[in-house]
Amino acid sequence: MSKGEMVIEGEKYNSKDRVRADHTDKLYAHIPEGETLLSIRDLNVTYRTDEKSTVAVDNLSFDIKKGELVSIVGPSGCGKSTVLRCISGLLQPTSGTIMIGDNKCTTAGSDRGMVFQEFALFPWRTVRKNIEFGLEIAGVPKEERRERSEKYLKAMGLFEFADSRIHELSGGMKQRVGIARAMIMHPAVILMDEPFGALDAQTRNILQESLVKVLKNSSRTIVFVTHSVDEALYLSDRIIVLSKRPATIHKIIEVPGDRPRDRVAPEYAAMRKEILSYLQSQNTMN
Amino acid sequence: MLSIEYDENNPKHRMVRKAIVIVISLVTFVILWWVVTALMNDRNFPTPDKVFEALWNLILYGDPIGGHSVWDYIAVSLKTFITGFILALVVALPLGLLLGYVGPLREFTSPWIEIVRPIAPIAWAPIFVLSFGSQLGPALVVFIGIFFPLLTNIIFGVQRIDQNWLDASKTLGASQGQLFYKIVLPATVPYILNGIKVGLGVGWMCIVAAEIYNKFGGIGQYLVDMVNGGLMSNAFAAIIIIAVLGLATTGVAEYASKIVSRRMGMDA
Repeated sequence: MSKGEMVIEGEKYNSKDRVRADHTDKLYAHIPEGETLLSIRDLNVTYRTDEKSTVAVDNLSFDIKKGELVSIVGPSGCGKSTVLRCISGLLQPTSGTIMIGDNKCTTAGSDRGMVFQEFALFPWRTVRKNIEFGLEIAGVPKEERRERSEKYLKAMGLFEFADSRIHELSGGMKQRVGIARAMIMHPAVILMDEPFGALDAQTRNILQESLVKVLKNSSRTIVFVTHSVDEALYLSDRIIVLSKRPATIHKIIEVPGDRPRDRVAPEYAAMRKEILSYLQSQNTMN
Repeated sequence: MLSIEYDENNPKHRMVRKAIVIVISLVTFVILWWVVTALMNDRNFPTPDKVFEALWNLILYGDPIGGHSVWDYIAVSLKTFITGFILALVVALPLGLLLGYVGPLREFTSPWIEIVRPIAPIAWAPIFVLSFGSQLGPALVVFIGIFFPLLTNIIFGVQRIDQNWLDASKTLGASQGQLFYKIVLPATVPYILNGIKVGLGVGWMCIVAAEIYNKFGGIGQYLVDMVNGGLMSNAFAAIIIIAVLGLATTGVAEYASKIVSRRMGMDA
């Protein structure tokens, strides 16, 4: 076996495949659930203009364990999406490292799937072809693609829309496609950037429940950026609360209880109050 | 008495309405033409009846000087036009995608485009015919006319690509080549079709200029001959033929672009 190659369950991955292939989660099968999978160390993002430099993210370090869903909340404009974009590789941090297992992440790749607030679906493709996009990229044969997309179409309640075009779907349906498109790849980590931020409150709740249901059947590691404390409490194992810009970690909160959770349970009400009052204190308008 | 309410939501009603509007518009046009030319009473601006008579004779008996069939003229023009169009497509498509995609290259070459683009195609006609002969020369004049609107539309289309599409593709593992074939190319198709539509229109504007130096052939050469011979009704008949050819080709392009845009859920 040459350098940069790993053999996982009889399949061969070289370092290029690590950011191109599907099922990159298999690369980290040796890491048990609950152990650190993704680690962010000393992340700095500084924007430089001619007159001044603005520090958006200041020396941020945290770990994400395998199989957990961690939300990042913070006051508006604190740079939580910036952190997520750094993890995805779509944005180069000024300094700092992002590691999945022993692999350093430098560019964007299929090991870090992403769900976008604006859906970012391809309007010239059908729902099915949107979901199959990553598998096409990875060179998965057509029959297998079809088989696997069928499963996700069903799981996300999209089956009857399989051959619809994106513009024919409601916002909620669009994001179901977005989630299926990321999940079908079985990336090591899924990044969700305010995925339900563009949806109305009711649709939002329904999608949160769908996500919980899907995660019941398939354990995933998710970093979830949201501005909704309720959403974070409903979905996350842990919540990372960021300060106002430049973003530093104020607190990491463990959220008890199995999903699906009771949205109005009193234990969450206290946590909700605590986080909200902190966020309010950090509001730059004050 | 039979009466039908017009229903905006009924596609058949909308089509009939559209057809009626077009017919009334064309009839009004001919009436206005007639009134204006009758008032001018200038033999250089014949009335429609003379022109349609000339057109009719041209179709039935061929041209009044050499007796060549009108279809021969049209065939030569179509050959010139199609050659120019295919050349423009073959050059503008890869070049437009490349310049749209590679910012520095676009910046570097945009002064060239801005220098060459405003030059009227008719200015190129003598140069191209002298250098490339009477076959390729006229086609190149048409090429110039179609090339620039096509190129600028394609460049614009590539620049309009949603950054989110590229980002999403990267997080799904797409390489640079795959970004190009799976995102840039399909996302630009509506703009390519729009460029073709605009380019075809400009192309027909160039046909007279392109064929001005032809010995025999082309509806443009026929028009110039008729003007030189003072047969203005015949010259205007040629204009009508060019207009019909232009309408037919841009109509097909417009229909194709509408269908594709709708199927792709995109508007250019």
